[in-house]
Amino acid sequence: MAELSAFNFRPGSSVLHGLDVRFKLIFLVLISFTSLKAYTVALSVLTLVLVAALMHSGLSLKSILKTFRYVSVLLAFIFIARALSTPGSVVAEFKAISITREGIYYGAMICWRLVIVILTGLSFVLTTRPSEIKAAVEWTLNPFPFIPAKRIATMMSLMVRFLPVIIDQAKETADAQRARGIENRKNPVYRLGKLGIPLMRRTFERADKLAVAMEARCYSENRTDPVLSSGIMDWIALCGVVCLCLVIISA
Amino acid sequence: MNIIEIENLSHYFADGTCGLENINLTIEEGTFVVIAGQNGSGKTTLLKHLNGLLLPTTGTVRLAGVPVSENLVKARQMVGMVFQDPDSQIVGETVCDDVAFGPENLCLDRSEVKRRVYRTLKVVGLLDFEDQKPHLLSGGEKRRLAIAGILAMEPKVLVFDEPFSSLDYPGVKQVLKQIISLHRSGHTILAAAHDLEKVIAHADRLVIMKDGKVVKDETPSQLLGELEAFGIREPCASRLGMEVQSWLN
Amino acid sequence: MIATKQLRMTVYASLLAALTAAGAYLAIPIGPVPIVLQSLFIFLSGLLLGSRWGVASVGVYLLAGALGLPVFAGGVGGIGRFAGPTGGYLLGFLPAVYVIGLITEKTRKRVVFDVFAMVCGSIIIYSCGVSWLKILTGMTLAKTMVVGMYPFILGDVLKIAAAVPIAKALRPVINP
Repeated sequence: MAELSAFNFRPGSSVLHGLDVRFKLIFLVLISFTSLKAYTVALSVLTLVLVAALMHSGLSLKSILKTFRYVSVLLAFIFIARALSTPGSVVAEFKAISITREGIYYGAMICWRLVIVILTGLSFVLTTRPSEIKAAVEWTLNPFPFIPAKRIATMMSLMVRFLPVIIDQAKETADAQRARGIENRKNPVYRLGKLGIPLMRRTFERADKLAVAMEARCYSENRTDPVLSSGIMDWIALCGVVCLCLVIISA
Repeated sequence: MNIIEIENLSHYFADGTCGLENINLTIEEGTFVVIAGQNGSGKTTLLKHLNGLLLPTTGTVRLAGVPVSENLVKARQMVGMVFQDPDSQIVGETVCDDVAFGPENLCLDRSEVKRRVYRTLKVVGLLDFEDQKPHLLSGGEKRRLAIAGILAMEPKVLVFDEPFSSLDYPGVKQVLKQIISLHRSGHTILAAAHDLEKVIAHADRLVIMKDGKVVKDETPSQLLGELEAFGIREPCASRLGMEVQSWLN
Repeated sequence: MIATKQLRMTVYASLLAALTAAGAYLAIPIGPVPIVLQSLFIFLSGLLLGSRWGVASVGVYLLAGALGLPVFAGGVGGIGRFAGPTGGYLLGFLPAVYVIGLITEKTRKRVVFDVFAMVCGSIIIYSCGVSWLKILTGMTLAKTMVVGMYPFILGDVLKIAAAVPIAKALRPVINP
């Protein structure tokens, strides 16, 4: 399950840990949108701020870079595609393909902005408990009529709770089938069915038992509200972030 | 005082098969009852009537004098049920969240929810695991977490469906110790089992079920010799003519 | 069991969302490109849960992912996933599952209609996915399709073929 827990919440006592989750959500949205309008200088500032925030909340530079191992392939893909497909002054030419100065510039900008969005998301995830995220969802959706906020929050926690259980079970099922030589079957439709059917059947059986167990614990959608509290630090941080964003957009 | 009174209880499933037939049973507050029987003898069906997960086709089930069907939420709060497979009972992403699930359903105050969570985690000895993810716990710990989730609702009766299935030896000891201390603290305990070895030394009363009927209902020592006729293995010590010993010794 | 129908559907939808998330980690290694099971479970959410609960299931999955709960495969989750190159496909899951559910509800759950529903679903997923990829990379439509669609079509055909018997086997389980 290492792949699941790698980017989870890490307990800590940094400023980011202490902020109210609702404010952090606002920051997440603000910074993500601002980065769309940002260019070199502003992007450098944002990167510095975010990396500093991440390191302050207990992540080493090495593990920040490590997070980008998988994303970097996708970023490289976007960069190359941009560099090749934007018209402009040619830097290098190779048969039918040509790399343009504008392409390189726009490619770099887009990738950099994505990096900002990812870093923002990362600092949110690392410093916020899943239960706080759930509470924030409930709080945000509550004012909307026709949206069952409590049910959505419950569904989210059930999903997160059962994801590792289902992955373990899928691996077990796959191993058991491998032990009986399913790899000799070349027909992929057969193999998808043979893995899918037992996996889903057991998932539904589990769901039935779970529903009964929840019933036995008096499940109701009318339940205790989560606690969320904001303090002076949150408002100070909000002012800071808003100012930063305004400066970047107007620049 | 009789905390559970079952009168002429029969249950037929939707497809017409008979689950329970004419059950009469009264259980006094504070007793430790073991319900034994083969798989399919109706143990789980009977237990699910106690908190209204199943409702009688005919007959009544009363908790402290009040019929279960009159107030299901009250019944579920009063009779806490620990299911056979803790993995399909645990709801929360962390130990703490899971224990809070029941009290939250009862719309208790946040401070009261917190108080109950800490108190019950202390009772089952899982305080250090507060923020742990449930699927990383050991078998015995998971079962204790399931018990904590039930205890947080402050039930009077605790119902265990096969409490020791697929537990290792330390797991069995942990859970057994827990059950016994809950019994000592005044809870009424009902445990369903097909294998008596692990619990019988502590039970006050043994109820044997077969094909949806209660066939025997006595103190354990009186019944030990007759068990095999009902498809239940006689505990080892009793077979060898010795006195049944607790698993904790 | 007398667990209310609504609670049962809620739990079904949540666990199918977990299964969809798990699907991103599960692959059947056949040929050069392994077949990832995720979109198979998206199809099945629509076929088995119907439009309303299908959307609930996929919606909860995407919402949780967007907020950074650990449900996406491959490390970084959160809002960055939607901005990244695969974001369009993820968003496309939502209308796709709705349409698949709607078609199965309106028709009599016959094989032809199931296949038709899933083909429609795939078209929706690809149109969302490819358009976002095109915007992001600035490639021509033809080139974007070469990278973002053609390599996966074979896998999708196989998944649709597999989803039909799976749906047939499981419908009686959830609607007894």
